[in-house]
Amino acid sequence: MIRTIGTRDLAERLIAYEARTSKPSKKTGPGTNFSPFEKLRPHLATLMGNAGFHALLARACTLAGPEVAWLREIKVEADGSLEGLGKLESRWGPKAITEGKIVLLAQLLGLLVAFIGEVLTLHLVREAWPKLPLDALDFGRGNKNET
Amino acid sequence: MKRKSGAASRKAEKKNPGQPAKVTIRKLPTGVRGLDDILGGGIPEFSFNIIAGTPGCGKTTLAHQIVFANATVKKPALYFTVLGEPAMKMLRYQQQYSFFDASKLGAAIRFINLADVVLEQDLNTVFEEITKQVTAIGPAFVVVDSFRTVVRRMAAGASEVEMQSFIQRLAQFLTSWQATTFLVGEYVQEEVRDNPVFTIADGLLWLSQVPERNSVVRKLQIMKLRGQASVPGLHTIRISDGGLQAFSRTLGFVRKMSSPSRRRRLSTGIPELDKMMGGGIREGDSLLVAGPSGTGKSALASQFIAEGIRKGEPGILALFEERPRGYTDRADSFGLNLKTPQEKGSLEILYLRPLDLSVDETMQEILDAIDRIGAKRLAIDSLVGFEMALAPGFRADFRESLYRMIVALTGAGVTIVSTVEVEDTFTALPFSHYAISFLTDDIIRMRYVEIDGQLRKIIVVIKMRGGNHSKDIREYIITDKGLVVILPRVTQYDGLITGIPTRAGPRPPQKDEPAPEPKAKK
Repeated sequence: MIRTIGTRDLAERLIAYEARTSKPSKKTGPGTNFSPFEKLRPHLATLMGNAGFHALLARACTLAGPEVAWLREIKVEADGSLEGLGKLESRWGPKAITEGKIVLLAQLLGLLVAFIGEVLTLHLVREAWPKLPLDALDFGRGNKNET
Repeated sequence: MKRKSGAASRKAEKKNPGQPAKVTIRKLPTGVRGLDDILGGGIPEFSFNIIAGTPGCGKTTLAHQIVFANATVKKPALYFTVLGEPAMKMLRYQQQYSFFDASKLGAAIRFINLADVVLEQDLNTVFEEITKQVTAIGPAFVVVDSFRTVVRRMAAGASEVEMQSFIQRLAQFLTSWQATTFLVGEYVQEEVRDNPVFTIADGLLWLSQVPERNSVVRKLQIMKLRGQASVPGLHTIRISDGGLQAFSRTLGFVRKMSSPSRRRRLSTGIPELDKMMGGGIREGDSLLVAGPSGTGKSALASQFIAEGIRKGEPGILALFEERPRGYTDRADSFGLNLKTPQEKGSLEILYLRPLDLSVDETMQEILDAIDRIGAKRLAIDSLVGFEMALAPGFRADFRESLYRMIVALTGAGVTIVSTVEVEDTFTALPFSHYAISFLTDDIIRMRYVEIDGQLRKIIVVIKMRGGNHSKDIREYIITDKGLVVILPRVTQYDGLITGIPTRAGPRPPQKDEPAPEPKAKK
């Protein structure tokens, strides 16, 4: 699977944007929710159904697994939601959790780019985050990393 | 339903001044070249249509093309995907076509996956989900792809009445919401009679793939279309980078026919031949040049085109055998420059050699070229090569197709020279294999004859529909000036057209007679 530096950049921006703008969960505290995935989920499920989103996220988890050890302990539910993150933070620390989310989101975006191309992937991202500025984003810059 | 002329409709209005005007059904463009003509103007607005056919016929591409051609932010489209191709894959593949406009996704075209509802719920829930989305968005276009899978999934748990009721409600609802609807489905023709969806539908567009030996040809049939007259029969379609293109079987017949009040005579570029033809080819005629290999048919065709260009009449060379480069190089050797006019836009060379062509596609290519350069002359070289380039299924109807093509092309205002290779026999003088002489206005026959130990060439005008012509059999040669008619009527031989003439008079004294053709010296 090809993951461009652009998808990593985009994932970092989305995670940072969500950390700034989303309200922290009472149960888990800041940084531990999966809100970028939750925001993407309905948009992708509309396109491909819950089962389709589940399959895509599970594939992204598998691809990110070698880079992020704790992702191997995460379970993708049938509806495409991710469970089990709260318990993991105490063991892995917020920095590792955030890095893992970036890697996972970058893989998910990389899969979308591979399937439907950069234009439509950005289109989906803009639908989910209409206020997020994406003008300076360039999928094409930098080398492509095979993972 | 024939469209009335402006005057006719005004007359009709006058007759019934007190009556309210009948409803005008707007016709929406399909975005598919050629299809609007076949449909009789386009897809009727608010109609409930089915796009049916076997897998791989282009149903989804057709639906996309229609949606992308019409959907706007103010008149959006809802594209429901079901159990067939998931939207993700659909987007992956459909974006390869030039009609795909990513900027329309979201606001103008929305894809909604119904697979979960279809898999987990019943007909009512599917109906409710569609109505919920349609009510919320108010789309002008709705596509359900594939509707067949909805029905197949539900059929197990629903009675026939429930199924009919579902389709009826869906059609009623979508029409009431002013949506033009397309249900895409994989059906076979045997289902048309019994499946209620075909009864309810206003339009039924049937796509198919017809295999013939190693060739496959895609076809389209408008099996049903309420409210307007579509062109009946099977029409060829082709899927290329631009999506679908349809070729009506009446292509060319609907063009405005140009018929000059006084027809000029067009020179062939061979003065002696023009004289034999009574002054040249009559403008708008179709001339068939028949002869065996090597008799100079292509040279004659090149000279005809080059002469036209010299006189300011743009031309088209439709080649089916020789490559354009070889053709223009050979013309060069006759002193005919075909390369410069190509660059200047007064000559277009069409090289058509795929093995699955249809006559209609060829005709469309030529008609497009005629429009592009305002062509007045056309040479088709050769009909045998043309037949070879056709898919086997079309070869059976070659004669009929050729008739349609010649009528359409001469109707477009061009004068046509077609070449056809015939095998020389020594007992007959055939004009072609196709019995197409009735299709052409004029016929010229070339053939080899054995004279004085040489294989020479003779030419004769067989037929000129528009007037009288010379009955002379003339000898000609091919020189660096092209085809040149050299000798007056050959009188000292009998049986020339048999190819083995006998001398009728005494042999004139000859001193080492030089060969008449320069190239024969080598």
